[in-house]
Amino acid sequence: MTAPIAPEEIGIESAGRFPYFSDLALSARVAAVILAGFVMVAITGPLWAPYGPAAVLVGSPFAPPSMSHPFGTDDLGRDVFSRVIFGSRAALITSVSASGLAVVLGTVAGLMLAYWRGWIDELGMRLIDILMSVPPLILALLLLSAGGSDSLLPILAVAILFAPRVTRVVRAAALAIVTEDYVTAAVTRGESALSIAWRELLPNVAGTVFVEFSIRTGFAVVFIGALGFLGFGAAPPSPEWGLMIGEGRSSINASFWPVIAPALSMAVLVISVNLFTEGLARLIGQSGRPSIRE
Amino acid sequence: MARLILTRAILSLVSLLAVSIIIFWAVELLPGDTATRILGRDATPEAIAVLRQQLQLDMPASARYLHWLMGAVRGDFGISLTADRPVLEYVQGRAVDTVTLAAVALTLYAPLSLILGIWTAVSRGRAVDHIVAVFVILGMCVPDYVVGIFLVATFALALPWFPPLALSDQIHDLPSLVHVLFLPALTLTAPMTAYAVRMMRESLIDVLGSGYVQMARLKGLPPWRVLLWHALPNAIGPALNVTALNIAWLMGGIVVVETLFNFPGLGRLLVDSISLKDVPVIQASSLLLSAVYILCNLAADIASMLLNRKLGLHG
Repeated sequence: MTAPIAPEEIGIESAGRFPYFSDLALSARVAAVILAGFVMVAITGPLWAPYGPAAVLVGSPFAPPSMSHPFGTDDLGRDVFSRVIFGSRAALITSVSASGLAVVLGTVAGLMLAYWRGWIDELGMRLIDILMSVPPLILALLLLSAGGSDSLLPILAVAILFAPRVTRVVRAAALAIVTEDYVTAAVTRGESALSIAWRELLPNVAGTVFVEFSIRTGFAVVFIGALGFLGFGAAPPSPEWGLMIGEGRSSINASFWPVIAPALSMAVLVISVNLFTEGLARLIGQSGRPSIRE
Repeated sequence: MARLILTRAILSLVSLLAVSIIIFWAVELLPGDTATRILGRDATPEAIAVLRQQLQLDMPASARYLHWLMGAVRGDFGISLTADRPVLEYVQGRAVDTVTLAAVALTLYAPLSLILGIWTAVSRGRAVDHIVAVFVILGMCVPDYVVGIFLVATFALALPWFPPLALSDQIHDLPSLVHVLFLPALTLTAPMTAYAVRMMRESLIDVLGSGYVQMARLKGLPPWRVLLWHALPNAIGPALNVTALNIAWLMGGIVVVETLFNFPGLGRLLVDSISLKDVPVIQASSLLLSAVYILCNLAADIASMLLNRKLGLHG
């Protein structure tokens, strides 16, 4: 369309070429390293964690941190450090799956709405408005009130909750390009809607989609933790962070480590995800601000 | 203008109706027979029959929904399955408690975010700004239950200044109200203030660099007057928008905080009633919380419409 953007015009060194890791702001780079660390721990943790996640009475209950128990023990004498490590797997897997599913659903829906516009778009947006009128936590609790501590259910519930929000964002991004010449050209060529969506629209909204995925993952960690805290997530003795926080809360007088350790881990994870997302978004040329808890 | 507001209001009403359908049918769509699910598998046939009669499960679902909706509009939510009392009187007291907690949180939030927003915008780039920025990131990213637990660990256990649980029977008068509700309110305030301070700071910095502020300064007005009477009114728009959204968020956050502090409010009622499978109470409390949520979203939209109108900006 126009001449390539000179880097000085936007103030980002990477303008006009594929961004490198060093283009991220310092905070984002540190955050990325921390995130990589989390992933490493999640993958390799079971190999070197001192105890199993459900190993009871490996130390006296409520023991303070020591060499053999860096985070002390909980009410059943389980090693908190090992449980936090095993919990990091659950945290990463559930949040990434939930936000991944939400992003897939939302992207498909958003592209469809943007491409077809007209009454389909109107209807779709009204439906989304209605779905977003329910306080998210309430809707999730209602969906989960069927019971069953299947860990698949929270992931599904969170995905259903987040998909409308993703749809909105992707639709907005797609609407901006759907009137471009190359899309019109593809339509004139007789390309199928699917082909257009996949080859013309998707690559151009990919940046938005990726940033949205990152944002949603951060929210998913918090949300799934909240569900676990309220007792609607994985069932005991699962080493899920939210559940650990909820369980340890009642005996916080005896020892606060069973509560603080998972809480601190969760806080660090979420902060890292958010800082990384901000850096990423700024790089891709968006507002960079995590949306208001949507 | 009025037509726009009316359209928005009607849309909200439709949303509320749709939400009521979702709430009602979420319970219905669960697999298995409702009565058996509530009473458990080893319930006697007689008990199941009684429950079916109580919940009128022999009526078709859509008829039951309409019946429930009519009752809800009148304030009759049926009888609680566990407490055997009309749901309304059960829910009323809890609703008042929740509103009290929300009010305390908002009373903390408003002046705090205003002061911090102005302060950081004015002392931009200096130490204060950076320190507050760190707290803002923490407030936005750290989950509310984690914040609550840290507060409890610090100010209720390590330093016994506040009670770790917010039990309403300890509240006799205003000082004890503040004392008991301070930590839960602070937990709710933290994320809300973080977003508001950030928004306030950005928009104020924007406004302070604008032409008419410069004009006011050139006219020789004292700086505080320029700040309060000229800059602030124009910068406060986005912050008000965020505030209305924060109030809407409060409906979800309060569920978690009430559970954390064992506060007997509407949020905790919802959680407890789900565990107890007390269907009428689940429906009533979800509906009430959703109604407030929708109302706040509506207020946010109307406020931003009015504000944009007033400033001559495009909606």
